[in-house]
Amino acid sequence: MTDLLNKAKRLFMATLFLGAPMMAFAAVEPEKNWYTMPRDMSEFGHRSDWLIDITSVFSAILFIIMCVWMTIAYTKHTNGAEVEYDHGNGRKQILKAGLLSSFIFLLVDGNLFYNAMKDLDEAFWNFDGAVAQGWHFAEGESPPNHDGTIRIEINAHQWAWDARYAGPDGKFRTPDDIVTLNDIRVPENKTVYIQLASSDVIHSFSLPNFRVKQDAMPGMINHMLVHTAEESAGEYDIACAQHCGAGHYLMKGLWTVHSESDFDAWAAETSQRSELAYQESNVDSHWGWDWKEK
Amino acid sequence: MSSGEHTAPADAAQHLQPIHEPPTTFLKKYVFSTDHKVIAKQFLWAGFFFLFIGGFEAMLIRWQWAYPGEAVPVVGQFIFTSSEGVISPSAFNSIFTTHGLIMIFWAVTPLLIGCFGNLTIPLMIGARDMAFPALNMASFHAFLISGILVMAGFAAPLGAGSAGWTTYAPLSTNIGTFGWGQSLLVMGIFVTGIASIMGGINYIATVIRLRAPGMTWMRMPLTVWGLWLTSILNVLFVPVLGSAGILLLLDRHTGTEFFIAGAMAGENAGDPILFQHLFWIFGHPEVYILILPAWGIVSDLLSFFSRKPAYWYRGSVYAMSAITCLSAVVYGHHMFVSGMNPLLGKSFMILTLVISVPAEMLFLNWLHTIWKGNIRKEVPMLFAMGFVFVFGLGGLTGLHLGTISTDIYLHDTMWVVGHFHLTMAAASFLGIVAGVYFWFPKMFGRMMNKRLGQIHFWTSTTLITLVFMGQLIAGYAGQNRRLYNPYEYTFLEHLQPLNQWTSYFAFALFAVQFIFVYNLFHSMYKGPIAPNNPWNVGTLEWEVSSPPPVHNFTVIPTVVRGPHEYSDPVASKILGRDWLSQTEPYPTEPVASPTTPAEETA
Repeated sequence: MTDLLNKAKRLFMATLFLGAPMMAFAAVEPEKNWYTMPRDMSEFGHRSDWLIDITSVFSAILFIIMCVWMTIAYTKHTNGAEVEYDHGNGRKQILKAGLLSSFIFLLVDGNLFYNAMKDLDEAFWNFDGAVAQGWHFAEGESPPNHDGTIRIEINAHQWAWDARYAGPDGKFRTPDDIVTLNDIRVPENKTVYIQLASSDVIHSFSLPNFRVKQDAMPGMINHMLVHTAEESAGEYDIACAQHCGAGHYLMKGLWTVHSESDFDAWAAETSQRSELAYQESNVDSHWGWDWKEK
Repeated sequence: MSSGEHTAPADAAQHLQPIHEPPTTFLKKYVFSTDHKVIAKQFLWAGFFFLFIGGFEAMLIRWQWAYPGEAVPVVGQFIFTSSEGVISPSAFNSIFTTHGLIMIFWAVTPLLIGCFGNLTIPLMIGARDMAFPALNMASFHAFLISGILVMAGFAAPLGAGSAGWTTYAPLSTNIGTFGWGQSLLVMGIFVTGIASIMGGINYIATVIRLRAPGMTWMRMPLTVWGLWLTSILNVLFVPVLGSAGILLLLDRHTGTEFFIAGAMAGENAGDPILFQHLFWIFGHPEVYILILPAWGIVSDLLSFFSRKPAYWYRGSVYAMSAITCLSAVVYGHHMFVSGMNPLLGKSFMILTLVISVPAEMLFLNWLHTIWKGNIRKEVPMLFAMGFVFVFGLGGLTGLHLGTISTDIYLHDTMWVVGHFHLTMAAASFLGIVAGVYFWFPKMFGRMMNKRLGQIHFWTSTTLITLVFMGQLIAGYAGQNRRLYNPYEYTFLEHLQPLNQWTSYFAFALFAVQFIFVYNLFHSMYKGPIAPNNPWNVGTLEWEVSSPPPVHNFTVIPTVVRGPHEYSDPVASKILGRDWLSQTEPYPTEPVASPTTPAEETA
């Protein structure tokens, strides 16, 4: 009997709260939870995560206040309640509304704006190094030009990702280039500077575990920075975020983060193999562009 | 404020709008009618038809996300004949593409703007019809043609258009989408754009020219304000979409390359980003086009049913006007990750955040309007409050998308889908339904069933919240939008149960709408006969019979006050009722019911 009661109680709770029944299905690892973001493997992802979450907290507070307000009005200010005949256009009332709106704006939007500008300049869009950010970089040094930065050219097409590394000579479109398909490897604790293009329609290169996303535009080279965290070795999904046709949902690639020594070994070996496979006459395989210095 | 200052004097108004003979033939009455009330009904039924189509497509999408690759039960075998009821990836793309476009241009637009615009503007400002009745008729006929074009797309070889509702080039050019389906869709958008522009010009002119004597700008119901501002946006920005559509059709059929670049382009490469600019400089105002009339309707209803004046009426007008202006300069937030200049991106970010100030003012006005009122829990009021609830949730979840660093992660995820469904889909829908329950007596002369309306409200609002919260959560967990099978990705595999629950709620939401359909049709024929003013509301449309005569007002009324005069303590005591109509003189001593409207002595 108690069993049955408990079951009924659980069922009731389950129907009450969206997703509660999924708790049973969810696995233990953090990225398996339906209510969390994928595990953050980037150096700076915690910044935007924090900003998203704190904004959600602000929103929740405002929303709850609104709900309580409406519930009180709905239950108390009804059934012949005395009405306050008020047009709300008194000088004081307008001032109050203006001050309250400004306060919410400065707090919530101001917080968003201030931190977003900081995050963009110091991490996500720190292309010109105008702002010192610590980590690997000296004051004013631009991450794209940093010595340890990994450079990759990525060309998207329906429905795959082509990647090209410069190889030992440091120059793109030479025989020692590493060329891969849907398989991009990087070392941990490094900045990866990607130049991105597309040969047919618009795609969007996104790494959910690294909190970055950038459209791949035909006829245009876009830039993006990925900062891999210190202990981030593992395999992650590359997802296409922009609808690009019937195979859009299958346009996934593998983003592998190695330890630095593993990465160097892989790069050396793959470069050699790429060089052996290089054919002068196979013009198609020579896609790419001269690196755009920032 | 002295009456008649900004509007025509009473006798001039009568001359400006002579009374015509009512039409007698069936064709003149129902097909080629120039009566705004009949055209409103035409838009109503056409809008409901497309709302059903779009809603059904939503169910197919939800089925696919709950059970990817499994045959759709019952109806699947008839729709997807070549795949034994399974939705194929290209069919799925067509479904979400046409779902979005049909809902925006052929369901919400005709219902909110076509139906309520036509119904309320002349009646609420005291006019006998629209400024250009023939143009009004042409607007509906153009809309009908556009509807035929979009439906014809489903019969096209290779299926209906599938480049997404945004029809981003080059995917929407022959590089990405072949066949007539996509072209028919773009033509449909173009023609429905013409209908919107014709309607918009008409609404703007009507509000400027045909307001009754004494109906100053600051005495107009907020419904009319919302519709008027929407019309301005329509007339300004739909032509931009039209131009993008024409260029896209040229790219598709004449070999031009306005939007094609890179390896696929010839010598004269164009620019895909140009299409995004053209699309979104229309597209962002469009979301306000779809919500401003609902804001107006809800602002009025909250005051009407709280029996309290609308709190800071002018503030609401200013806020809606400010948002109308700002809506044109924030569109860049749709392109944060397209590779735009960082400085430009940051500028758009600031402008986007600024829009929350007038939005907050509007919210504060709504919350103050219902505070210390005497709420009458009629069905339109329930839906108006549901609107505030759902729109609040939708508006707040937009904050995360307005800032670049947070948008980078959330861009193109289900978070975006949840956010815009809550704001411009669910909230618009609730606004529409509130309007239908409210004006049904005026349109059809009968009352709708209150009990069924309450059931419809509580189920719909709860389920809407659950469905779109489910989408927000999926987006937060990283699920990208428009994926045929999200579970192909390792990091999304665990989200299938979440999506299944969201789908169950969505199916339930679809099902409970049939309560509304039943209520609508049953009440049309069997509902109790409606009095002229069933809600005890003071705006002009409630002073005429239900339904009104063809010419609306035998004598064009003279307006002496604003639309929200409720619970005036002095007047209530004298009159024994808690409302004042917009035309009756202010009672000075106990009087009989007002018969001849007189000028207010300023």
